[in-house]
Amino acid sequence: MSLSRRDFLRASALTAAATTLGVGTVFNSKMFAATGIDKDQFMQDSQGVMWHKSVCRLCGVGCGVMLGVKDGKPFGIRGDKDNTVNAGLLCVKGFYLNKMITAKNRLMYPMIRKNGKLTRATWDEALDFVAKKFTEIKEKYGPDALAFYGSGQAETEETYVANKLFKGHIGTNNVEGNPRLCMASAVGGYISTFGADEPVGTYDDIEKCDMFLLVGSNTAEAHPVVYDRIVARKKQNPNVKVVIIDPRKTPTNKIADLHLQVIPGYDLAIMNAMAKLIIDNGYADEQFIKDSVNFSDGTNPITYEDYKKFLEKFTPEYAAKQCGVKAEDIVKAAKLFGETPRVMTMWCMGVNQRVAGVFLNNLIHNLHLLTGKIGKDGCDSFSLTGQPNACGGVREGGGLSHLLPGHRVVANEKHRKEIAEIWNVPAENIKPAPGKHTVAMFEALGTGDIKGIFILCTSPAQSLPNLNKYLKGMEDAFMVVAESFHPTETSQIADVVLPAAFWGEKEGVYGCTERRSQHMAKALQPAGESRWDAFILVDIAKRMGYGKNFEHFTTAEAIWNEYLKTTKGTDMDLTGATYARLKKVRGLRWPVPSEDHPGTGHRFTEGDPYFPKDKAAGKRMYFYTKSDGKAVIFARPDKGPEEQTSPEYPIALTTGRILEQWHTMSMTGQVPELVRAAPRPYVEINPEDAKALGISTRDKVRMVTKRGSLIVEAKVIDRPRKGTIFVPWHWPESLTNILTIDAVDPGSKEPEYKVAACRLEKA
Amino acid sequence: MKKIYLVILFILALGIVSLGFITNQQSEKHPDVDWSLGCQECHSERTPEVYNDWYTSRHGMVNFGCYICHGDGQETFYAKGSDAQCGGCHAGQLVSFDSSKFKSCFDCHNGHTLKFHND
Repeated sequence: MSLSRRDFLRASALTAAATTLGVGTVFNSKMFAATGIDKDQFMQDSQGVMWHKSVCRLCGVGCGVMLGVKDGKPFGIRGDKDNTVNAGLLCVKGFYLNKMITAKNRLMYPMIRKNGKLTRATWDEALDFVAKKFTEIKEKYGPDALAFYGSGQAETEETYVANKLFKGHIGTNNVEGNPRLCMASAVGGYISTFGADEPVGTYDDIEKCDMFLLVGSNTAEAHPVVYDRIVARKKQNPNVKVVIIDPRKTPTNKIADLHLQVIPGYDLAIMNAMAKLIIDNGYADEQFIKDSVNFSDGTNPITYEDYKKFLEKFTPEYAAKQCGVKAEDIVKAAKLFGETPRVMTMWCMGVNQRVAGVFLNNLIHNLHLLTGKIGKDGCDSFSLTGQPNACGGVREGGGLSHLLPGHRVVANEKHRKEIAEIWNVPAENIKPAPGKHTVAMFEALGTGDIKGIFILCTSPAQSLPNLNKYLKGMEDAFMVVAESFHPTETSQIADVVLPAAFWGEKEGVYGCTERRSQHMAKALQPAGESRWDAFILVDIAKRMGYGKNFEHFTTAEAIWNEYLKTTKGTDMDLTGATYARLKKVRGLRWPVPSEDHPGTGHRFTEGDPYFPKDKAAGKRMYFYTKSDGKAVIFARPDKGPEEQTSPEYPIALTTGRILEQWHTMSMTGQVPELVRAAPRPYVEINPEDAKALGISTRDKVRMVTKRGSLIVEAKVIDRPRKGTIFVPWHWPESLTNILTIDAVDPGSKEPEYKVAACRLEKA
Repeated sequence: MKKIYLVILFILALGIVSLGFITNQQSEKHPDVDWSLGCQECHSERTPEVYNDWYTSRHGMVNFGCYICHGDGQETFYAKGSDAQCGGCHAGQLVSFDSSKFKSCFDCHNGHTLKFHND
């Protein structure tokens, strides 16, 4: 007799209740026994399995996950059916989270490099050494000779402690994180357009949307559960349209009604052309523009008329010529955008990882501001975040060289004073000038301007663009790496490697794409001698003499509570998101200013607790993060890629991801099933290009850029546009990033991973 | 004399049959193949019908591959998928088989096409 659904649900609810009381609460296994457990292995083994509420360790969707633990070991994973983000659905990567916890390459003990070799050390030895070296460097060369490089996969509590230590105590703003490499342009776009970071709407808009414009996003593989919601929406209403702008056909194309398969790097012209068509054909919401929009050329305010004049050159024919698509398709896309009542644009790395990334973000927002398709059901310019906590920890926690917690900036005196007070340090401790952004930071390791660096939960020795340029600097500097897995490209060249507790072994908060902060339970003891990253940093702080302001950080909740103070009264107010509440609910979307506030759907409009009805005076939206309540439409030129193709390098190289692997494979590469899906590195080559070069699938080919050359296996497939190749960057044995260019967007400092010029030949 | 031989033969036969039966139940082993390949690289040619069933299914359309149900082949291998695996990603669709003659997801859903009642 099977376990009845009602009993299973009751047991789940009991477990959910149990987990709010913390790890170790006795689970009532009688519940299952009473129902007469059957032969089904899953249900049978569920006797004595404690299911803990958590959030997926991987992409920025933020799926709810239940981690099953039995006898102190990871037992299994299932989707959290009560989480509104995914309603119990998972993708293939999340499905194997438990296998990552027990991967063979888990780092179990600290290591110090002695005589050129990493050798086992005790925690005291390792941390004393780190504290001593950091203090020496600081005293001899100044605080800016030190740096911290963190991650959008670190918990908010971890980034908060690092920020407080480095900016508030050591006294350097050289605090960066890998979101600089993925989301910085989106941040720049949001802040310049709206005055504040992160989307106006939420995932709720998906089920009310009538048209999805997907730009530079292979949603099916990079955000599978969001893709599933779009698919379901289209299935529910077959009139829903999907328009894609991307140089590559991807699995996402399965639901596309229109695909503008652009030459990589030239799509800004399309956005401006669409804006022109929207205005010319009367699709602009003139009242909304009057109420809520200012215009700017990037330096000075301009008028609506100036903007229309600026757009004159962006005819569909001009844009079509720039990016190699049909003018009529641009017209079609604009018509659909203008006519469809509810439109969402979603984008990801194809837009952000560009030297014109901020511009392109602005141009996307422009379309929604022109038509007023924002801040209401089914309408939004909705940036998809790549990492699980780029929003929560780094963008909100202030883990970049120019930021402070709670959407503040180091350059603002009032902001420095507010944070210094919470950190209990003199305001002068926090320097007003931004520190080095990521590429500059790793450049400085090479020049010796930075002599010591602490790297947390990321692998720059694989993920930096133009990789070969930065490796020696990492080897020369005093590099401390806190990591759960070893070896990685970065840990293997470190001077000190510290074993970090992994997902499931630590409590903390992740904030995902839709401004939702969610609590992750600690369900297991850290493996081996590994310790929680936040406690590692606290320990270092103590050993460097800063213990006074860190000794109260004895629990994750204590750190979170201090962090909450930095958000109070800001546009990202999280005051109502206490641990007690977060443990019960499936996350809360800020602003959530009090414990009885349900969280916010659409910002800057009715329903947003900070919407100033009086100032708005009848307007539907008031962007209160701008001094006059108006968002900005930017007249941005159609800036192309840094490195154009040439006779010597005639192919456009673009890089990206596959469904089954996450980033540098330190986690997903340990799961045999995921490796089986795509066992070898490869490059996607368009069949026409392949024919011209005499290349067949499985032939070895050489890709050459100005920066390096790499030999991989060819996969001839009708995906990349003719004249373009696509290379995934996951395999440590085939470091794609030796080919990519480290040119950055001047505003966001985000590198252009998505376009480079390359030569392709049979190897 | 003949009868004893027959009896011994019978016992031996029984032993061999039951050995085969036990082995069958205990060992699910994928043939030893070139493990540098992915499932699809072989099976699109070796088992084209099953491959096509999967390829046109909801799983195939999003490239949720063989390994989810069958393991990676080398370290883990299951000839058949199990409800436990479905429940991992489809926790929202767990149903009660109590008052039903069906006892498994696969009683209704074809493992490859995923279609209901093989429709």
